[in-house]
Amino acid sequence: MKKNNDDLFRFVEYSAEAAERTGYSDYSYWKSVFQNFLKKKSAVVMAFIFFGLVIFSFIALAIGKYDYAELLTDSALAFQAPNGEFWFGTDNLGRDYWCQVWFAAQTSIKLAIIVALGECFVGVTIGCLWGYVRVLDRPLTEIYNVINNIPMIIYMTLIALLIGQSFTVMAISLICFGWLPMARNVRNLVLMYRDREYNLASRCLGTPVWRVLVKNILPYLISIIILRLALSIPSTIALESTLSYLGLGLGIDTPSLGILLRNARNYFLDYPYLLIFPAVIVSLITITFYLVGNAFSDAADPRNHV
Amino acid sequence: MVKYTIKRLLQTLVTVLIVATIVFLLMRMLPTDYFFTEDQLMKLTPEQKQEQLEAAGLTDPVGEQLIRFYGQILRFDFGESRRIQSGVDVVKVIGSKFTVSMRLGCTALVISLFVGVFIDIIQTINKDKLLDHIGTGYTIFVNAVPSLVSYSLVLVFGSTVLGLPSLYSTRNPGPSSILPVVCLSLASIAHYALWTRRYMVDELNKDYIKLARVKGMSFNSIMVKHVFKNAFVPLVQYIPTSFLYTIGGSLLVERFFSVPGMGPLLNDAIIRYDVNVVQTLAIIYGTMGTVGVFLGDVLMMLLDPRIKLVGKGETR
Repeated sequence: MKKNNDDLFRFVEYSAEAAERTGYSDYSYWKSVFQNFLKKKSAVVMAFIFFGLVIFSFIALAIGKYDYAELLTDSALAFQAPNGEFWFGTDNLGRDYWCQVWFAAQTSIKLAIIVALGECFVGVTIGCLWGYVRVLDRPLTEIYNVINNIPMIIYMTLIALLIGQSFTVMAISLICFGWLPMARNVRNLVLMYRDREYNLASRCLGTPVWRVLVKNILPYLISIIILRLALSIPSTIALESTLSYLGLGLGIDTPSLGILLRNARNYFLDYPYLLIFPAVIVSLITITFYLVGNAFSDAADPRNHV
Repeated sequence: MVKYTIKRLLQTLVTVLIVATIVFLLMRMLPTDYFFTEDQLMKLTPEQKQEQLEAAGLTDPVGEQLIRFYGQILRFDFGESRRIQSGVDVVKVIGSKFTVSMRLGCTALVISLFVGVFIDIIQTINKDKLLDHIGTGYTIFVNAVPSLVSYSLVLVFGSTVLGLPSLYSTRNPGPSSILPVVCLSLASIAHYALWTRRYMVDELNKDYIKLARVKGMSFNSIMVKHVFKNAFVPLVQYIPTSFLYTIGGSLLVERFFSVPGMGPLLNDAIIRYDVNVVQTLAIIYGTMGTVGVFLGDVLMMLLDPRIKLVGKGETR
């Protein structure tokens, strides 16, 4: 056995400053989220492309030679290939395609952001109550099953026939049916956390339900909520284009991706540029956002933090 | 098990009944103007319209109509189509469309299962190499890009480069259904590849795999005997649902390629106020959704004896 070396074990003098330093942590949730996010160079590049495109869609409308509101139909100018006058060519009615494409991109992004935020708000609120308040479990499950089992086409067709087609109607109805998966996901997570000891303790101490939900449970769900939010933007753009293509979405005079492709469906085999411009722009927007959303939700997961 | 099955089936029945009732009520909210064609709307006098509506039983109180509707369901009498194909039995109308959708859908399902799992195996074997990244790129592309855009790209590529017909035609269903099938499988290949990959990678990191390696089993036989078998179990859950949904057809694909399938039928029937067709379709779709989930659970249990459904109903 080794001899004890007294030099190795000395008492350290008490220092208030050093004690303070060990106890102090400058950890802040959102700060480390952004730090983690910025570490991923590819995601940052994607984010730049995404925001660049969104900003450019405004610039593009401003620098374009034609204003969307004053587009004239002139069949003599139909199907002009892209040239100096019409940067993206013209469509079957001789209207400038450049301003239509950018306007459509804007409409799609605007709708997607509104719907994603709305879905998220409704979904999280209902999901939290669904998971936490036991009395509500059965009725909400039944409501979920019923809404989920009726094909969405029935609702959308009825809404289109009864109420009409406009941006607001579309946004509201997409929110009304889009909260379901979000709420279900949140509910399952809340079920996992609701009976942990610290929540039990909170309940015993008489903490009100909303406080338990907002302060104890919600922070755990943030990364999942962000992921859902991020993925619902590309999927809303997809859904909008599908519905508009089928004639159940936005009105025919609101330019959006679905409407553009619907108008171009009969022509783009002969005039591929009618497809390529909107397709490339929208794909860039959705793909970059998808990747950024994935990276951001990884960064938002506290388990990945130091 | 038997008791559990009966319970689940009864639940299904209740859900379908509720769905049918709601759809029934929703349909009654439509203005009766949609009952007539545009021609009839212009020519008929209000009295004549009223007469026709009464003959169809649409002016009775809603409660009475509803009871009559329940009676019809009990007798499995779904009535006749009125405007999709005038006077033909709804079952026949749906039957003729359903075979088309189902043939396309099943082909697509089989293709996507095989191709999806194949892509995924290649990806797992070449993890973090070029092929893996290509596969991931494909899944991201399919998930992020709106399906309308990817269908259009498939269409343009298929018809200009490969010279395939751009619209479905009943006269030569073979070549003209290639593009619709490709479009149908596009998304589900990515879906299967993504999920199998996730489960396989999870499975590969487990301890028993290490043990098998240490014992000297070859990589290939580990993949086939252990990893694949285990990773397939969670996937199996979705197969019945996807199979049943092939019957329903895909609205977008069928519209896009003018396939005379089930997909657009619902939409057409609503617009033309073909109440019987809409109700029957709603019952079919409702049943498919619930039965699919149930079959998925049962299949999963059969493949993996560790999973028990009976005690699962109680969630803490």
